[in-house]
Amino acid sequence: MTGRARLVMLWENSAMSFRSILSNKVRAFLTALGVVIGVASVIGLTALGHGAGIAVESRLSNLGANLLIVYSGEPRGTSLVRQRTTNIAPMLTADDLEFIDSLPSDLVVKTARESSQNGQLKFENRNTVATVIGTDPNYPDIRNFHPMYGSFFSELDMESRRNVVAIGVQTYRELFPDGRDPLGATIRINGLPFHVIAIMEEKGSPTQDASVLIPFTTYRRSLSGSDNYAIINIQAASTDVMYELQSTIENEMLRLRRVPSMEMANFYIANQMDLIGTVTGVADTFTLLLAGIAAISLLVGGIGIMNIMLVSVTERTREIGVRMALGAKGRHVMTQFLTEAVILSAGGGLIGVLLGYLFSWGAQRFGGLASVVTPDSVLIAFSFAVVIGLFFGGYPAYRASRLDPIEALRYE
Amino acid sequence: MIHISDIHKRYQMGPTMVNALGGVSLQIEAGEFVAITGPSGSGKSTLMNIIGCLDSPDSGSYLLAGEEVAELAPDDLAEIRNLRVGFVFQTFNLLPRATALENVELPLIYRGIGARRRRATAQAMLERVGLDDRMTHLPTELSGGQSQRVAIARALVGGPALILADEPTGALDTRTGEEIMALFEELNHDGVTLILVTHDNALAAHADRLVRLLDGLIVDNRAGVIV
Ligand SMILES: Nc1ncnc2c1ncn2[C@@H]1O[C@H](COP(=O)(O)OP(=O)(O)O)[C@@H](O)[C@H]1O
Ligand SMILES: [Mg+2]
Repeated sequence: MTGRARLVMLWENSAMSFRSILSNKVRAFLTALGVVIGVASVIGLTALGHGAGIAVESRLSNLGANLLIVYSGEPRGTSLVRQRTTNIAPMLTADDLEFIDSLPSDLVVKTARESSQNGQLKFENRNTVATVIGTDPNYPDIRNFHPMYGSFFSELDMESRRNVVAIGVQTYRELFPDGRDPLGATIRINGLPFHVIAIMEEKGSPTQDASVLIPFTTYRRSLSGSDNYAIINIQAASTDVMYELQSTIENEMLRLRRVPSMEMANFYIANQMDLIGTVTGVADTFTLLLAGIAAISLLVGGIGIMNIMLVSVTERTREIGVRMALGAKGRHVMTQFLTEAVILSAGGGLIGVLLGYLFSWGAQRFGGLASVVTPDSVLIAFSFAVVIGLFFGGYPAYRASRLDPIEALRYE
Repeated sequence: MIHISDIHKRYQMGPTMVNALGGVSLQIEAGEFVAITGPSGSGKSTLMNIIGCLDSPDSGSYLLAGEEVAELAPDDLAEIRNLRVGFVFQTFNLLPRATALENVELPLIYRGIGARRRRATAQAMLERVGLDDRMTHLPTELSGGQSQRVAIARALVGGPALILADEPTGALDTRTGEEIMALFEELNHDGVTLILVTHDNALAAHADRLVRLLDGLIVDNRAGVIV
């Protein structure tokens, strides 16, 4: 058969298939419905899973960019948000900080010491409890936790050990329920007077919103009395250097402590990358699971196509006989029915892609869910639909091609 | 053109075997108009299907234009049908969802001929059978006589050497049947080899030669008219 003849056959097969599909639109639609739903759910559910992953990732990035945290004490899982739930024994020293600060700027951008304890807060006749954090002026930048009103304490406040405080928004609401401007007001922390200089932005996390921040120098003199700190917050130069930086710091701190390995150390380092990796790993697994379930429905759609194609072949036995009498070979009949099955599944796939996008858009617009359609899922789901058409259309088409023309012509 | 010698064909009918053809030999020359007659069940259709390469004999030899076709594979038979044979059936066998023109185009599709040439050839054939004004009609919109004309146009469109018609007027009234017969005679005059299967002696009288079958055997094979 020449190339041109092949092309003629391909075109005619498609035209015949379209005509046959259009002649029974409702049935064609119901046949393709399984594939439509399968493809739409693969795309839609993957979009939801992917969107959830991105949302978590951005929330984690929100903790601060390229964040590395050295904790005092035994490791308790990878947690970047754990530190203020307990009062950590401050065992990080000026030597540790000095080493970290001495690292080149292509590793470390800035650092902030941090210690904390629970404190009793009082303003006029109102009392509340909050985590009192002593830290450095770099803290807002490193932790991505900025004042929304007023300004954070400065190097000068540090040097002068001023009694100034930036208060979390929840603490503000408890101490100033009338909503008045707190700047310049004097509150008492464990009985000591502090000037309010800022309200911190709302983070939606109680550990941050119910905290108050004071200069580390002030904290050391008035609250802890210790020169050491519980935490060193580090902003790394880039995500690429974070693991390198982590091991550099671990090695030096082990050396300073004359401890052979991290198992015996009295500190540990939490790496933002680890956490993001863990969470996105969970999200990916979740996405895969959803896609798998959706793929099963796609498979069921394929069985629907096979079912209808078998019916169609039986119904058109006589037509097949006529075509064979006029010179159709086995492969002509085979490709005709295969084309029809693929057009059904590809058409269903196309509608499914549109519905998948629509579903994703609707989930975002009306369900408030993060949803991102991935091109991969569209490509995979659509190709899978076509392959399913070929696979499940294959058997009915084969049966049609093997009919005996005489029997087929006698069929009533 | 057709050399058939000692052809047998048996069918399984439940527990018993039916001898549809029990040793048939027949020669037909190019340009002949042969009628195959005989009572129902005598093997006329079976013989015609074998002549038309729709079916293969169990044994015996069939030379079509010098080529042995008795043992060809289904796809090779399909090619022979497409190139050399035109079928006309009692019940027309038009594709119900295709227009008259599209029905006539079918054999050319399987020859891989492009749409434009196909259309032109099919139109010419429909004009020849007198259906210039019915080309875009669906079979349901055509009368029996018109449907059979479409079927004849379809049988002719590929320029086959052989036209096989199995009871072509069986589903038509007498007058329409006569019109169709007149068309066949005209085609035969133009040089087409024509084999007509019928149990109607009056129709068989149109033929140059008459082959009578009984229980799968040829009992009469002669030129001229019988009454
Ligand atoms: N496909 C078949 N299966 C079983 N029996 C058949 C088949 N085709 C024909 N026969 C039998 O073979 C015999 C000849 O049939 P046929 O050639 O159709 O006769 P005619 O066309 O003369 O009526 C009949 O007895 C018929 O029942
Ligand atoms: Mg018959």
